[in-house]
Amino acid sequence: MKAKRILAAIATGLMIWGVLPALAEDQGPPHPPGESAQVYSDPLAPFNEKMFWFNLKLDHYFLHPVAEGYAFVAPTPVREAVGRFFNNVNFIPRFANNLFQLRVADAGGELARFGINTTVGVAGLFDPADHWFGLKESRNDMGLTLGHYGISQGPYLVLPFLGPSTIRDTVGYAADEAMWPLPYFVPWYISIPTDAGKGVVEAVNFRSLHLDLFEQVDRYAVDLYGAVQDGYLQRRANQLQKLSQ
Amino acid sequence: MRHRTESTSASGYGWAPALLATLLALAVMGGAQASYADTSPLQSTQEFVNQALKIMADKQTPVADRKRQLRALIEPRFDFTEMARQALGRHWRSLKPDQRQDFADVFKGFMESAYLSRIGDYSGQRVEFVKQSSLGAGYAQVNSNIVQVGKPPIPVNYLLEQTDGNWRVYDVTVDNISIIQNYQNQFNRVINENGFEKLLADLKAKQQQLGASSAG
Repeated sequence: MKAKRILAAIATGLMIWGVLPALAEDQGPPHPPGESAQVYSDPLAPFNEKMFWFNLKLDHYFLHPVAEGYAFVAPTPVREAVGRFFNNVNFIPRFANNLFQLRVADAGGELARFGINTTVGVAGLFDPADHWFGLKESRNDMGLTLGHYGISQGPYLVLPFLGPSTIRDTVGYAADEAMWPLPYFVPWYISIPTDAGKGVVEAVNFRSLHLDLFEQVDRYAVDLYGAVQDGYLQRRANQLQKLSQ
Repeated sequence: MRHRTESTSASGYGWAPALLATLLALAVMGGAQASYADTSPLQSTQEFVNQALKIMADKQTPVADRKRQLRALIEPRFDFTEMARQALGRHWRSLKPDQRQDFADVFKGFMESAYLSRIGDYSGQRVEFVKQSSLGAGYAQVNSNIVQVGKPPIPVNYLLEQTDGNWRVYDVTVDNISIIQNYQNQFNRVINENGFEKLLADLKAKQQQLGASSAG
């Protein structure tokens, strides 16, 4: 089952840049002008830089070409529906972590969304919960739950296949993955290949909907590693801040 | 597109003339300085963004001309020296005055090339202004959204400072990611690993690359 987790990590993890879909919220991080000392310590930098390079190559030689071919064959609405399908299937950690943080209304919303979209929304391919009932997704994960209860994030960590993370978010990710039910119901020789396949399809589908994601970041960067690192850490800080409001 | 803080017509109400008279009196008393200082950060940002959008949408004019127009529009409204200072963080202090000037110039050129190179990608997205909030005396934040069809809006916030009565941008956040903070991390890494001169060279090279790729 441990091996399954690692392979499942390959799945979601292939979203190399850790650039999650926008968490639209109007509260920014206001800071006064002047010299701010926002510098990260990066004790794992030697390892992280190697992993970052590995992920870049993996994307360049595998993920991006495959996603491009797939995007050529499958029209955007189809790929968006596939994205919604996976998003619906992965609702358990969102539901559970909202509950862990005592966000009962958000947890209930996630449960209702899953119920509506799995049935009326044809196995999650569509999102009537949002369009008809105005029920928006409430993103959440175990890394945020740990942060919510005051656990510090620890050093920045770049995971192979999975991309940017921190020690805390890696622990959280493993816990969220353990909530995936399939391995508890079928033998490992079925769950491992199934979940690995799910992960790869999910990653390819995501990349196909964000084909120029990397180019967008690279265009403005002089140090790509630093740009991705800061982008990830700022985004996670914003998500945590939003949850504590 | 008008923001809700703008006054609506009060005609038909008995107290309107009195109010108008009071406002006029205040305006006269306020004198000449009022013209700048009374522009709210939101109004000044909105005016600037609308002008920029108009230039970007004007596909008849050659790209090079439009870039020139945009540059002229941006320059008085962005505090590039302050941006450069923040982007260098603690390294700014260890630079000599002429190095600081060099860096501020190169940084400004880089930023303009990077963001103006996207001019051709504009396809009529609308920008709506949400609100302004104070960040303390002389500082303000203006929140806006780039509206996209069928996708959630992208929040873009402007952080402004007031100098000589004018509001000037010293940072922009896109999707709540601070651009200047992002550069600070990149620049810190480059300086620590390869020194200040390498950062200058990298910025210049990147600017050239961006200029070449967006010539059309």
